[in-house]
This record gives sequence, structure tokens and C-alpha cells, in this order.
Amino acid sequence: MTIKLKKELWAQVTKAATAGGYSSPEEFIEHVLERECAKLAGEEPDEEVVRRLKGLGYID
Amino acid sequence: MVLAYLHPHATQIAYIGPGAGFAFLGSFLTLIAGFFLTVFSLLSWPFRLAWRAVRRRKGYRHARVRKIIFLGLDGLDPRTTERLMTEGKLPNLARLAAEGSYKRLRTTFPALSPVAWSTFATGVSPAKHNIFDFLDRSLKNYLPRLSSAHIGKPAHVLRVGRLRVPISRTPVELRRKSQPFWKILGRQGIGCTILRVPITFPPEKFDGRLLSAMCTPDLKGTQGSFSQFTTRVERATYENGSRYPLRRVADGFAGEIEGPADTYLEGRPILRIPFQVRRRNGAYELQVAGRRCALRPGEYTGWQRLGFRTAVGASASGMARFLATETDPEFSIYMTPLNLDPERPALPISHPPYYAAYLANLLGSYATVGMAEDTWALNEGVIDEDAFLRQAWDIFAEREGMFLNALENTRRGVVACVFDTSDRIQHMFYRRLGTSGPHAEAIEEMYRRLDKLAGKALTFTDDGTALFVLSDHGFCAFRRGVNINAWLRDNGYLHLKNGGRESGPFFEGVDWSRTRAYALGLGGFYLNLKGREALGVVDKREAEALKSEIIRQLAALRDEDGAAPIGNVYATASLYRGPYLDAAPDFIVGYNEGYRCSWDGAVGKVAVGTIEDNDKAWSGDHCVDPVLVPGVLFSNRKIEAADPGIEDLAPTALKLFGVDVPAWMEGKALW
Repeated sequence: MTIKLKKELWAQVTKAATAGGYSSPEEFIEHVLERECAKLAGEEPDEEVVRRLKGLGYID
Repeated sequence: MVLAYLHPHATQIAYIGPGAGFAFLGSFLTLIAGFFLTVFSLLSWPFRLAWRAVRRRKGYRHARVRKIIFLGLDGLDPRTTERLMTEGKLPNLARLAAEGSYKRLRTTFPALSPVAWSTFATGVSPAKHNIFDFLDRSLKNYLPRLSSAHIGKPAHVLRVGRLRVPISRTPVELRRKSQPFWKILGRQGIGCTILRVPITFPPEKFDGRLLSAMCTPDLKGTQGSFSQFTTRVERATYENGSRYPLRRVADGFAGEIEGPADTYLEGRPILRIPFQVRRRNGAYELQVAGRRCALRPGEYTGWQRLGFRTAVGASASGMARFLATETDPEFSIYMTPLNLDPERPALPISHPPYYAAYLANLLGSYATVGMAEDTWALNEGVIDEDAFLRQAWDIFAEREGMFLNALENTRRGVVACVFDTSDRIQHMFYRRLGTSGPHAEAIEEMYRRLDKLAGKALTFTDDGTALFVLSDHGFCAFRRGVNINAWLRDNGYLHLKNGGRESGPFFEGVDWSRTRAYALGLGGFYLNLKGREALGVVDKREAEALKSEIIRQLAALRDEDGAAPIGNVYATASLYRGPYLDAAPDFIVGYNEGYRCSWDGAVGKVAVGTIEDNDKAWSGDHCVDPVLVPGVLFSNRKIEAADPGIEDLAPTALKLFGVDVPAWMEGKALW
């Protein structure tokens, strides 16, 4: 999927990504979007989340 | 097969639940598209080959080496290594040290494999790659989650009667951020073969080959759940496996293997495969999924392919090994976790997608679960120490085959392979060290065998090769577990509802409206911060003062005998900077040797007491103050750096190939 940004915004994004320690402007954009979307996302059922950890050697 | 080559993610389309995961090569349209893509692919092949050759030649123009070999030995401890080298028991590593270099290798905070290997791959601190522990937590409900990968649900599912058919892809997301060095090298046309380096599930696309490792799930979607089938009728509860009845029938026994849920059907019923064990002239034969194999007491079978047929006819393909652990008077069989079948993986486990199948066809089937050695089966007494060691060394042999094959076929580029045998055997046999009992030599024997492996890797080196043998952390004893949540409760930072003293796992019964700090995971703990956690109560303006107060008090914790379980408590923000720092624990606990966070504390239980004995077979660990457990670094080249860290390897790889080190990388090239 491609999202078009204005040149000026892309320049700002690139600058912000570098200053923030991201490895690329794309990583910066993904992080910002993921953070915002996470606020709206629902949670998975508790038992499903817990079941997936089963077998991890370090925890009981 | 051609379709699978051209549509690397086609097999993912119908993975419709974290537990199951079914290959579903679909519709007529897919076939048509596949046909045209095949024709296009064949016609364009000579041009692509020529372009690749040009690119590769260009990529190596500034290279100072032709080849780099990274041999990762997870958890190889410097103190033990140095002692055994002095005793003349590790001749190959000693030779490497004498002719090249040996250094202790600084690890990450915390000293955990997912964290440290992510730093190895990316050359950045956890605050830039987002992996701080095996677990992180939901900010909405405080439940633990696997920090490295997330398997979601398809957004669109077609309902036809009781059938549930996904019509969109199942999201499978790698949560490690930043970029591994092999991706950067791939862009320059420098080929990399990356075998079982932790935190590579799901595999990222890049110009090279990769087989996923730590945190790859089993077919049930867990991190590895064993099964035990037995005629014993007494009840038994296993934390991380399941016990199933074995019925006596005319000439043997019969049982059912429980597989993943059928996510194509309403209610997600569990898929099952029946099996039988027949007596044959005093021996036993396992009959399962239309195949027969000998079941000899005390001997593992080979990998048995198990296809669980779903409601729509698609098959979820897994595989397992069986071991008869007793035969008379009771009969019991241990079955390994249902590994994803590398020839038909229900989830992507390699890049390119066919690479996993290529390795299986070339070298035979192999374990694919992230932590393949079944430590829980030994912890719970379902298999004994001999059986665990056989399993661990069988997995080692599979991996060694892949590693040596990659070395034989790599004239230039990178081969990186991580072996887990060293980590698992130290976890499970540490309490045997220095005793005269059985397996007292298990750890030393492991070091010797890994030394031989290093010797084999050395035979693939020449003047144009840089070899690195490294570990991500060291090891020490784990005798006592500290429940930080209990300490937080006793000191007024965590409260339970109705004045209770003990909670269930996952913070069941915690009163969040009065709780200022809570612990989850192996490395650290968190403030319950207002505006971050859903039920946060600590104001950001008070956070720094509260952190200082907790650090001061926790460092004063004493065990019954007056010993200090904790040497240091680190404020994470003082350790590193980066865009993902918000997701990090606010504190990292630097346990002293002999201590670790308690088993149940790691999953958010508030225990009655703060410190308890660790009585499991799992008796060695590295979840301590990282300054106590550095890793090792050997190279066939002289390393002058006084204090090399695991973050230095990625920029070193780039620089050796003459590729510019990006400014965001924090490690420093060793040369």
C-alpha cells in the first residue's frame, strides 16, 4: 500500500526520524500510526493471550 | 510448488487463528495468476540473473573480507570457558584465542536472549529495537504478551452456515523494530544466510536466506506444549503440557493426539488424530496418520508428520517425535510439542518461504519451534535427564547439518547460525555442577562438543574470512526466586482488593486504583503511570521521585540469611535512549548470583512470601545483573577494543564489507 505525502512533510518526517533514532522514515511513520491505532484497538480474550505463552521455558 | 515460490505468502491466507494455521492454496483465480506469473518468471530469469551478478560484483567492491561467519553459542559463559581453556579442554577455542582474539562480550540490559540477539542483529539498544524482555504487557489490561511477535485474526471472515472461511490475510507481525545488518548487506548485493538467530519470527523479507528461531510457535500456537499419553489413571496437572489417557486394547494401546483448533468451524472444535500402539513380537509399533514406526523404549522415533484435517478439507500440518517412557506394568508415551512442518509450514518460518522446505528436503526434517528443547517436560518429570539430553543433542545435530551445509555453499557473504544447546543444558543441569551424581559432567561435555563445532567452523576460514564465535550472555546458578510483586505489596506500592495478601497469576485481585508499581516479565518492573497504563495512578511529575525511592528501598532487600538478592536496581531511562523507551520496564533489576525473579512473579502473581527456593530442574539462569553475566567473543582476527559489546557486531559486519554504518546504529565497528 502506498500513501502519498507532500514533499515538505516528507522532509520533516525524515528529519524527525533521524532525530528520534529510527532506522528509516518508514519506521517512524509506522510507529506513530501503530501508537495511535493501538488506542482504538480492542483487546483479545484473556485466555487466548495467556495460552500463547504456554511452554515458554522461563515462566511458570 | 511453483505457486509457493511465486506467492511467498499465499500459504498464510487461511491462517485464521493463533492456535491453528492452515495452508490453504486457494481459488481458480490464484491458479490463473500463478500460471501467468510462472511464465513471466521464466522469461525474465536470464535478465534477473545478469542484474544480480552485476549488483553483487558492485556490492563487494569495497569489501575487506569475502566472508563472515558468526557462530552463536547461546549462553556460553566466560568463566566456565576460561577455566576449561586453561585446563586444555577446549583446544579449538584456545587456538582461536591465541591466534586471534578472545574477549568477554558486554551484554544488554537485561541479559536475556531476545534482547541481546536483537541488539546483535541491529547494532542498537533495546530502546531502538523494542525488545526489552520475553514478555511485555498490555497497557489496557496489564496482561502479559509475547514481546517479539503478534499473530492476529483475519479482518474478514465469510460465514456459511457453521463454516468460517477467512477472506483476508492473517496478520503475523514481528515486533522487533529497526533493521538487521543482513537486510542492509542484502541491499548491497551481499548474500547472507541467517540460521536460527533469535527473534526472527516471522521472517522479514530481504535479499538473502533466513530460518526463523526463538518465539516461533508450535502448531497449537503456544511456545511448545508437550503431550503425555499414559495408562496411569491418577490425576496429574502439568503447567506447560497435557496428560491424555491411553486405553488398553486387544493387542496394545490406543489414544488420540490433540491438535490445533479447527478455526474453519464455529466454536473452534479441537482437531484430533487417533493412534495405536501394537505389540509385535515383544516390541512395539506406533501406528499414526496412516504410517507405522517402531517404538522402542527409551528411543525417540523420527519426526512423524501429522496432518489435522479441517472442516474445509485443508490440512494443518505438524510433526512430532514420540518416546515410550515406560512399558510395564503401565505404558506411557511422551510426545514433543507439535512443531510446524518445515515442508508445509502453516506460518511463515523462513525467507524465502521455500527455504525451510529446501533444508528439510536436503537434510531431513528438523525442529522448528522457537525453544525446541523441551525444558518443561524435564521440569515436570515427564521425561528424564537422559531423554532430555538426547533430544537436545538431536536438535544440535539438525542445526549442525544446516550450518555446515551453509558453510560449504558460501564462497562469499555472511553465514550466521545460533545454537541453543549451550543455553538449555546449562539451564537444566546447573545444579549438577560440582556434584558426583549422574550428569555432573553434562555441562563440561557440552562445552567440549561446542569446541569441536568451533573447530569445524575454523576449517572454513582463510585470509579472506572473519570468524566470530560469540555468546549473548553468560550463566550462573538460580537457587532462590524473588517475587517483586510481593515486595511491592509489603512496602505499600501494590495493593490487593479486600486487603488480600496473595493474588492469582496475571494480577488477578490487584487493586489498580491504589497500585503504584507492578512487576511482569523476567527483567524488570513498571510504574502504574497515569496516561500510560489504563488504570494508572502515578502522576508523571511524581514519577522520578518515586523511582528513586523504590530503587533505594529495593536495593536494601535481604534474604533470610542476610544475603542481598539484589545488587543494583537500574532506572531504564538512565541506561538507553530511543523511540521505544516508553514500552520499556521503568526499572531493571540487577539480581545477584543465585537469585532471579520467581517463576510466578514473572507472570504477575503476588505471592505470600517474597523469596522462595527454586526446586525445579531448571537451576541455572542469566536473568541477573548484566554486569555479572557477559558473553564471550572469539575471533580469528585481533580485536583491540577494550570493552566490546554485542551491539558492535552489526556495524563490524557492515564495515568489513565496506558498507557505510548508518548513523542510527549505536555499536562501534571493532576495526
